[in-house]
Amino acid sequence: MSVSLDIKYAARLLAKKPAFTALTVLIVAIGLGLTLYTYSLLNSLVFTPLTLNNDKPIYAVEAQYDYTHLSRRPADPFDLYKLKNELNLLEDLGVYQEGTTFVGGAGANTAIRKFNSTYVSWNIFEFAGVQPILGRGFSPEDHFEGAEPSVVLSYEVFQNYFRGDESVVGTMVPLDAEPNRIIGVMPEGFAFPAIAEIWQPLPQVSVAATERSYNGVLGFARLADGVTLSQLRTEMDAYSTELSTRLDEDMNWRINTDGKYLSAEPFKKAAITQYYSMFMAMFVVVFLILLLACINVGNLLLARVNQRFKEIAIRVAMGVPRKRLILQMLWESIFICSVGGLLALLLAAWGLEISNQVFDQTYAVDNLKPFWWHVQISTNGILLLLGAVVAMIFITGYIPAWRALSGDFNAVLRDGTRGAIGKKAAQASKVLVISEIFLSCVVLMMASILLSTSYSAGIADYGVETENRLTAQLQLPPVSFGIRRDTEFEHADRLKRSAFYYALKDELESQPNIEAVAMMTELPGRGEGTSYYEIEGREAPVYNENPYSNNEGVAKDSWRALGMRIIQGRDFDHRDIGEGVLSIIINESIAKEFFPDGDAIGQRVRRANPGNKGEWNTIMGVVSDTFHGSTMRSSSTSYNSYHIMDNWGLFRVNMAMHYTGLQVDAEKTLLQAVDKVNSDVGVYHIQSYDNLIKQPMMLVMAVSKVFLLCGIIAAFLAASGIYAVASNSISQRTQEIGVRRALGSSDAGIMRLFMLQASQQLAIGLAIGIGLSIWLVNFMSETMIINDLSYVLGMLGVPLLIIFMVLLATFIPTQKVVLMEPSEALHHD
Amino acid sequence: MITTSATSATSATSATSKSLVTLNNIKKVFFTDDVETHALNEINLSINKGEYLSITGPSGCGKSTLLSLLGLLDTSTAGTYQLAGHEASDLSRDERAKIRNKEIGFIFQAFNLISDLSVAENVELPLTYRSDITKSQRAEMVKDALEKVDMQHRANHFPSQLSGGQQQRVAVARAIAGNPSIILADEPTGNLDSKNAQVVMSLLDRLHDQGATICMVTHDPRSAARAGRTIEVFDGKIVSDQLTEKSQAVVL
Repeated sequence: MSVSLDIKYAARLLAKKPAFTALTVLIVAIGLGLTLYTYSLLNSLVFTPLTLNNDKPIYAVEAQYDYTHLSRRPADPFDLYKLKNELNLLEDLGVYQEGTTFVGGAGANTAIRKFNSTYVSWNIFEFAGVQPILGRGFSPEDHFEGAEPSVVLSYEVFQNYFRGDESVVGTMVPLDAEPNRIIGVMPEGFAFPAIAEIWQPLPQVSVAATERSYNGVLGFARLADGVTLSQLRTEMDAYSTELSTRLDEDMNWRINTDGKYLSAEPFKKAAITQYYSMFMAMFVVVFLILLLACINVGNLLLARVNQRFKEIAIRVAMGVPRKRLILQMLWESIFICSVGGLLALLLAAWGLEISNQVFDQTYAVDNLKPFWWHVQISTNGILLLLGAVVAMIFITGYIPAWRALSGDFNAVLRDGTRGAIGKKAAQASKVLVISEIFLSCVVLMMASILLSTSYSAGIADYGVETENRLTAQLQLPPVSFGIRRDTEFEHADRLKRSAFYYALKDELESQPNIEAVAMMTELPGRGEGTSYYEIEGREAPVYNENPYSNNEGVAKDSWRALGMRIIQGRDFDHRDIGEGVLSIIINESIAKEFFPDGDAIGQRVRRANPGNKGEWNTIMGVVSDTFHGSTMRSSSTSYNSYHIMDNWGLFRVNMAMHYTGLQVDAEKTLLQAVDKVNSDVGVYHIQSYDNLIKQPMMLVMAVSKVFLLCGIIAAFLAASGIYAVASNSISQRTQEIGVRRALGSSDAGIMRLFMLQASQQLAIGLAIGIGLSIWLVNFMSETMIINDLSYVLGMLGVPLLIIFMVLLATFIPTQKVVLMEPSEALHHD
Repeated sequence: MITTSATSATSATSATSKSLVTLNNIKKVFFTDDVETHALNEINLSINKGEYLSITGPSGCGKSTLLSLLGLLDTSTAGTYQLAGHEASDLSRDERAKIRNKEIGFIFQAFNLISDLSVAENVELPLTYRSDITKSQRAEMVKDALEKVDMQHRANHFPSQLSGGQQQRVAVARAIAGNPSIILADEPTGNLDSKNAQVVMSLLDRLHDQGATICMVTHDPRSAARAGRTIEVFDGKIVSDQLTEKSQAVVL
């Protein structure tokens, strides 16, 4: 009965102030919603181990992550299998390589289509515990040299490309123009290891290596019984150290400069290594927002308790048991947090739905979304929400309950006022204000720095014209464009490949709606990664003390299609084609930095890898600056050098064409031209240049939007919270202000005192906040370049904003109290 | 107790060359929600230097409002007020603050010590608002004030570590530290037990004996009797102004 009375009373109080109730519920919903959303996101993407029908988690075993190029590095299969077969660290191991394959064409009745192909060890399906729904999986014999080429289809390829025709199993289909037998179809949704649309067997040398080679594979593994991840890493490091002492010079590129080679990471985490620090920063920020929300709600309820102090004192006088009083205080929190929790569930579900759409859009062009990247609220997420609601009830209910129980009720009842604020309560108020300041400082700084950086990357000048530019990738069928390596035909085979690209370029440029065509290994805006090079006569003693640049292959006469221009010297031409002819074009930044006297032309440079120096290349020209890779990636650079691609004989090329008229017509022209020149050549990833530049940043942009949301929420919570806490704190000191004024303090003196106290709290809060922000930003800058403007904006702008907010939040309520007559302030209730 | 009529007492104590406080036709009206409350009406009062005056009356009669006006904690709706030769009716907020600081010492019923400050710091507080006193002078004045109330041994304690009687003695020390012209005490024993009340009242007696001018609001007839003069307020008016036996004894 008494409980129902308390609930009724709490409900009446909440209903009496609907704006207050709505505000607190909203703050709780936002705080919990963001937390649930972020947890669910990271839970799906990182936290929940990938197990696939087994109790044991799957780990990625491969070479150490390459932070210079922001890419995963394959390891020698010889070493990976040694971990399992000789060191007995792994219970089960499979290896794979990811690539793309063209299916169909080559005289078959099906259209040619590009799919993500994963070349795998035969045991992949047994490892995953998933068997084909049609046909069979691989057997060890499928790896043998001379075995009939075979392929297993994903359910999606089977349904969408082969229209679910079961009779295709057992038939031959052209893969990169070479006939392969379809031996099986996997169940719907299966894409292990990550993005597979079709599976092909690796060659025998990759699954049963007898010696080290240049061959590289990624591994998936489960740990042997009794072996922990840290043990495996320790053993891997010891293995690397031991290996580094006896590895042949031509193989020591496997070992990093820090002496490490192999790595083991949870499988999901390995797939997002480059984004891991950003996601973790997001998690920290969201957690801080939750804390901010807790403090805000707690403070709002605290302010309410202060208003109800006399009523509480009367209840105490009437003999209310301590437990009952606490419970009574908690009912409001229970209601607010429970309703907020329900709303949070809806908000998080909505956010996750949007995230799934963003993932689909991000990977719409290349279909590279890992199969587990479908985020949803899990049972663990619901449990977390329940736990967070309970914790929030405790935190938001305990603060006012503590205040209610720690007051001097006798004094309140005796003199009819709340009495002077206690020392503990005063300290608690200070802690609340400092917490608000440092939490909002961190959240706002992180949000502003990330947003500003991603925005800058989006609008950065990559040095190319992107308007009316269409881009695509071209891939040659290996059968008709094979290279007979180490034979007299090798160079001719390479030129044959280049001949196709030039034929296509000529065909396209003869069309009325195509102005010019560029072909490059990677177009500006993409293809980050750098190598060191030596300048003849100025070689540094240690390879990594030399200058560095990004290197690309480029077709003749490509600059105009991109809006680039030769500044000095000449473009590549027929003089640069031929065996042993080594010409290079550098960009303006390199010329200015390393050849400031304008004497770059004719100078010679060569690659300077450890233990592996290239041939000298003569600088033929200087081209205008471009930026390869996103400006916000640490692997990107403004130093670029170009080689003529003819001598390389590229298997895959990126192209850009400057068109007039509609993009859709340009796309048709491209497809028709490819079909006319060689219908077996694959053309894919057709998209505008703007999209090409934005695409690798889409995930970061999406996360930035979450940060923007966090920033807006943080600004709202910070502004309202700081004002509420400061206002509440000053309100509790009304009598003190009355006393000070009674003793002769001037209005300005009171104002100065409170501003000084606020400044001290500001200094502490900002010092903690800035310190934590710097740590988080450093953490993120492992894989992301934070530009200077963003730093200034975050490190200067945000503290200034908070200083303004805090001083204003102190000034307004203090002014209000100061304007009271001292007698009124002294008897303020 | 020897009583005189209100009129004669007022005239007897009307403005003289020794007058420290002079109120003429003071009115105070509170306006709340269309309701006018006449807290004080036609108050004429004069307090001489060195006088010990108590103000009594039932709850809500206006005695605390009168004390607030005397202490420049509030402003009157009408009438004039002179304090220590200053015309106090039309002063700015800061000028009033200055006079409160130099000329008036307050003792409140609820002590009103600042919990964050130590005993010595509380006593020093009004002195810190004055630019004409050096730090060493302040320290000396704090020491003297605490010695007068016998609280020097608690100088570094905080209010929460003191009993109610001790807190009020500290409040008295704070009130006298700056050598004010008048001490205004609002129910100084209201929150104390009889033993502590006795200690505080003795303290006020001693201060008066040393020449302090004291004006005290009290409900307690025994406390009121310790003053040399008592005025009674009823419905916002002074209805009696009497010299007490103590005063008569001094005269005789």
